[in-house]
Amino acid sequence: MGILQKFKQMFSTVPMLGWFLGILAAVLIEYFWGYDYISYYLGLPKIPVLFGALIMLKEPVMIPGALAYDLIVYVIPVLAVAKLTCFITNPGAALLEKLPLWLSAVIHLVCFYAILHLWAGINDYRVLVVKLTLVSIILTVSVNVINGYQGEFSCSHPGFMALGAYVSSILTLVLFTNDKIFGTALLPPALGPYLFPLVLVVGGAAAAIGSLAVAIPSFRTRGDYLAIISLAFMFIVKSAVENLNIIGGARGMGGQPDLAPLPVIFFWTMLCIWVIHNFVTSILGKALNTVRDDEAAAESMTVKTRKTKMTAFMFGAFWAGVAGGLFAHVLTYINPGMFSINRLAEILAMVYFGGLNSIVGSIVGAVSINVLGEALRPLELFKWIIIPLILIFVMIFRPYGLISFTEINAKKLLESKHKRQQGVSP
Amino acid sequence: MKKIAVLTVVAFCAAMMFSSLAFSARKTIIKIGINAPLTGDIPKVGEGSKYAAQMWLEDIEKAGGLDVGGKKYEVELVIEDNESKAESAVKANTKMITQDDVLAIVGPQSSKQAVPAGEVANKYKTVMISPWSTNPSTTLDRPYVFRGCFLDPFQGPVVANFITEEFGFTKAAVLYDVASDYPKGLAEVFKQAWEDKHGAGSVVAYESFTTKDTDFSSQLTKIVKSGAEVLFTPQYYNEVPLIVSQAKNLGWTGPIVGSDSWGSAETIELCGEDCYGLFFSSHYAAAGAKGATKAFIDRYEKTYGYIPDDVAALTWDALRLAQQAIQDAGKLTGKIEKDREAVRDALAQIKDFDGITGKMTFTEEGDPIKCAVIVRINHQGEYEFYGSSCP
Repeated sequence: MGILQKFKQMFSTVPMLGWFLGILAAVLIEYFWGYDYISYYLGLPKIPVLFGALIMLKEPVMIPGALAYDLIVYVIPVLAVAKLTCFITNPGAALLEKLPLWLSAVIHLVCFYAILHLWAGINDYRVLVVKLTLVSIILTVSVNVINGYQGEFSCSHPGFMALGAYVSSILTLVLFTNDKIFGTALLPPALGPYLFPLVLVVGGAAAAIGSLAVAIPSFRTRGDYLAIISLAFMFIVKSAVENLNIIGGARGMGGQPDLAPLPVIFFWTMLCIWVIHNFVTSILGKALNTVRDDEAAAESMTVKTRKTKMTAFMFGAFWAGVAGGLFAHVLTYINPGMFSINRLAEILAMVYFGGLNSIVGSIVGAVSINVLGEALRPLELFKWIIIPLILIFVMIFRPYGLISFTEINAKKLLESKHKRQQGVSP
Repeated sequence: MKKIAVLTVVAFCAAMMFSSLAFSARKTIIKIGINAPLTGDIPKVGEGSKYAAQMWLEDIEKAGGLDVGGKKYEVELVIEDNESKAESAVKANTKMITQDDVLAIVGPQSSKQAVPAGEVANKYKTVMISPWSTNPSTTLDRPYVFRGCFLDPFQGPVVANFITEEFGFTKAAVLYDVASDYPKGLAEVFKQAWEDKHGAGSVVAYESFTTKDTDFSSQLTKIVKSGAEVLFTPQYYNEVPLIVSQAKNLGWTGPIVGSDSWGSAETIELCGEDCYGLFFSSHYAAAGAKGATKAFIDRYEKTYGYIPDDVAALTWDALRLAQQAIQDAGKLTGKIEKDREAVRDALAQIKDFDGITGKMTFTEEGDPIKCAVIVRINHQGEYEFYGSSCP
């Protein structure tokens, strides 16, 4: 305990910018020396992905090598550089503090993205995992609006996702590709990247309109009843798509243009987090919480419960639709079976694992379930025992999820850590 | 303390920078990826693929490696689980191609994974052979994607012809899973072929259900009442026993005919005596096999304790095709992109490959031209050769 405390204290002077610099150093080391030198000397066949988890589980002989790699490439450089550059990064952070918070946050995000891009770019498998994780973050945050902030138990998210995925796929197939079903492209494919945001918004809007089918009955029902209505909605969407041969039916729909590279997905994820954060901290968001806690009391305190519930539902569904659109363009193939009960279980696991009523919790949940799912891949069947077990333990010891009902203060997170010392010296 | 730590890191980095570059020439290992559904809906299919692959590796290891252009190379299998999910199959393929540097991929088995996974393989210019996927779009416009089996548009008419010639029936019923790609496609092809033969309306009942349904009584009642003489149901091993036993309980007396998805070893285990005497079209028949096919079956049964199903046999053939292509490529340069391209060109050139599921020659699209087999489940519960039909 003492060591941990000391350790914590030693690094308490490192601002966020310092950590970024440390991670950047680690990534650069991996980028330039990872393959030719470090992994080679450690007897690893290649740069290990996911911090060596895959290779460690597959070949236990490699455990020391993979751990040493993590230590040399990640742990030591990150800690050393973060600590040693304090003298530059703290004044830097102080300088950024003088800027408006949003600008400072944007600068931090750009730095973060640059590092992420460099790190993921080492290997296309990383890119794919990061992309799908970011899509999961959008999904989880949007479910949290309904299941966390509104306190309902809605099961229709895969349905909303399917609506978004299919509508945006049809649009891109009609507009930008020469497709067997929809004929030649209506617009030059070069326009694709520019109009893609619009396509996603249309997909999201379709999901939002579809969500009215659940939102309207939800005026009268709560709890189990809403869960059943929304579950039914999910199956209706899935069956409808399966029986529509024009869009491929059960056979699925493929050939979407690859319009969702990493920067696009990152941008949408950040936009989603920002918009949803503003939504839940607005008056409407507070009203949503009152509806959750006591509907009758909220109504008597002049909260328009119907409008509140409907807006929240449509809002959550919109982002699920956007996530669906991105998902379809990452995989460039969708079939209705993807948006079924398995997906629902995955989404709910991410939300309840991460924590209700918290955006940070949702991010933690989405990232951890995705990374765990990938890292434990070599265990095959045991993966499906370990992940549910972890979920059970989380539910027993933290019934509302890992990080629930709290939010991280962005200002505090980004500030310079030299404050105290500066305060002392005149 | 801090200084020491820093010095160590600096020294380490410096040592790495100045070390000899020649060291980084690593040994060339031939890696073959297996993308199989080891968990999920059809784990038995994944198990069959895995076992067949392990047997193949054993052979290679016994020979001391794979001989390419007079040089022996070590071979390694990278077996990845696709959880029977499309996105997982895509992830597995991406991982094997970009991380493990596989030379060729065998799998995924089901079309719903093979179609999106084929997109990845083609994008990264890596040969992928799907042993079992019968959907035309798996290989369509994808020069790097091949398959080891015949297609639905061939299988449907084979079954329709067989029923007509064998029984002389004119009225058929179809029961299929509308939510699953393979049964739905095959049901459509069969209906088309049957109606071409016996006129419109000769498929008197065309009933569907959804994946994971376990009660088929309403559909089967309709089928029994429709006056159909034969029931065609292109379902997987987990549904066939339910359909067959429920049909018998509802008074169905005619024959029930299936497709290659019946071929799993599990079908007969779950179905028991109800399935004896039924027919299905398949890639090969285990009982009464000869030559290399028999040797494979005997060896598989001895090692794993049950008779291999068609997935295992097709996987075996796909691996041997990959092996043949690698050897035909002449030599390996160690540059993975170049080698993959050479393997692809060699694979497309293969003529009359003598597989245990029949002779194969690839068409332009990467689909083999090969024969279908009609299998009868005999009264010992074995899959017996009944007849074959060639294109």
